[in-house]
Amino acid sequence: MLASRLFYAALILVGVTFVVASLVKLVPGDPVDVIAAGNPGMSLADMELLRERMGLTRSVPEQFAAYLGGALQGDLGTSIRQGVPVTQLIGERLPATAELAFWAIVIALALAVPIGILTALKRDTWVDYAGTSFAVLGVSTPGFLLAVMLILWFSIDLRWLPASGYRGSALGALFGDPLAFWSKFRYFILPAISLAFVLVAMNARLIRSAMLEVVEQDYIAFATAKGVPRAVIILRHALRNALLPVVTMVGLQMGGLLSGTVVIETVFAWPGIGRLAVDAIHIRDYPVIQAVVLVSAVLFITINLVVDGLYRLIDPRVRDE
Amino acid sequence: MSEPVSVAAAPPERSFLRALLRSPKGLTGLLMVGLIVGCALFAHWIAPHDPVRQTLAGRFLPPVWQEGGRWTNLLGADNMGRDILSRTMISAQISVQVALIVVSVALVVGTTLGALAGFFGGWVDTLIMRAVDFQLAFPFLLLALIFMAVLGPGFATLVMALSFALWINFARVVRSETMRIRRLDYIDAATTMGVSRARIIVTHVLPNVLPAILVVATLDVALVVIAEAALSFLGLGVQPPTASWGMMIADGRDFLYDQPWIVIAPGIAVLITSVGINLFGDFLRDYFDPRLERTRA
Repeated sequence: MLASRLFYAALILVGVTFVVASLVKLVPGDPVDVIAAGNPGMSLADMELLRERMGLTRSVPEQFAAYLGGALQGDLGTSIRQGVPVTQLIGERLPATAELAFWAIVIALALAVPIGILTALKRDTWVDYAGTSFAVLGVSTPGFLLAVMLILWFSIDLRWLPASGYRGSALGALFGDPLAFWSKFRYFILPAISLAFVLVAMNARLIRSAMLEVVEQDYIAFATAKGVPRAVIILRHALRNALLPVVTMVGLQMGGLLSGTVVIETVFAWPGIGRLAVDAIHIRDYPVIQAVVLVSAVLFITINLVVDGLYRLIDPRVRDE
Repeated sequence: MSEPVSVAAAPPERSFLRALLRSPKGLTGLLMVGLIVGCALFAHWIAPHDPVRQTLAGRFLPPVWQEGGRWTNLLGADNMGRDILSRTMISAQISVQVALIVVSVALVVGTTLGALAGFFGGWVDTLIMRAVDFQLAFPFLLLALIFMAVLGPGFATLVMALSFALWINFARVVRSETMRIRRLDYIDAATTMGVSRARIIVTHVLPNVLPAILVVATLDVALVVIAEAALSFLGLGVQPPTASWGMMIADGRDFLYDQPWIVIAPGIAVLITSVGINLFGDFLRDYFDPRLERTRA
């Protein structure tokens, strides 16, 4: 089962690489002309060189082979605008995106688990209804709108948190220089909440319905009859099983999170790969766009493989199948 | 990202209208959506000003309830002196247009492919579902970015990118529902009687899948509205001078400090739209899915 999953993931990655490699070929007309239109200083020789570098002089299969070969050796081409290897740009910016996503998930789970449990236990009371309203608001609020509103409240009105910027890794500070943690972490708070909001809503709902289902199981009734304290039943017996669907979802949610970072990074001037992609599209820096798409797909697929593995580890029923 | 939905045909004895009137959720949702659609339809007549007309004197005019506000511009004016109420109203057109086109295209393509995959199985199913899996490897917005990169930003690109991203939602739901229905006895009976397969799909399978399609379509409208706003916010959606909520919020961001009203009106408009659609979609799901109803009783 695992082997076939791996094979399958590899197959999809090859497909993604193919799409990415032939992306420049799909641009109507000549992409170099488009780029040159935005850069009046470009000479004909420059344009020829650029065609060569972008693989426009090769056939699609040749270009695919060359791109795949390069990618496997860590070469994703050179940025047209900045003239540096794309892998270097991504290497510089990926940590900021990854850590932002990490804090977003931490915040999302830290809020979703208690809300999910509480709304399940207080089912059909005002607590539950408040949870439902919150869930609708959560899936309905665009991340960028929340981000702008948070800046308005917490940066402009209250002046508690910075409105934009990034001052280095908070996780790194946590382990290296704990005193500096807050000075770095405060830059993470607003963007991470903007990303996490929708996840809190979705996961809280998931945990709620999973809890409701688990609570009706025989083994919970048995544990109650046996005299196990309610808190222990909820936390040890019920929650453990209720978290299972969330584990699967977290993998899929990474896709939404990656999409979210594209927007949120732009709002908060965050030096991550999302903003890199948006900037690259505005200036038509194709090698950068290609690389960001490829790297995101690789990340997304890898994370889902890992999550799948984790799921098997936590749930013996799946493992034994 | 919409959750997978599984819905069965509605019990015939309950009328839709009665259920709607008894559901505060459904009614509120419908009212909110109605407000936005009304704005989109009648903006040309009811908007108090020309949404693109710039007036130097009206720059940064605050809303009427703030000091210096004027009754002529209820919600104030932006950095170019354009009336915010009029722009917010006219922007509803873009959202509604994009949502209708995108969801219709995704619905037709996704339903067709999903029905084929579910009904025929075998290699047809494998081929279509592999395409779905492949597309799932691309995060939603990145897929849109690929289209932007290839075709350049604009209305047509936006519509194509979002349709392309959303057809899989329909394909997956329709496929699983079709597979379930195909195994039912009356389909067997029809096959035995020599009814053609195309006819079976159209007259027996699709009507039964319809509730599921409706629910997905409604919830996907919310996704499209949010995605359109997000892409326009990034400058990758509709291009000026056409107004859109996302763009208005992006423009107003530079003046957040002193003139927050520039972003608040379009922000509330986006919220009303997506909350309204989600409420109504939830109501539809409850209505069509008797199983959910039972767990609530």
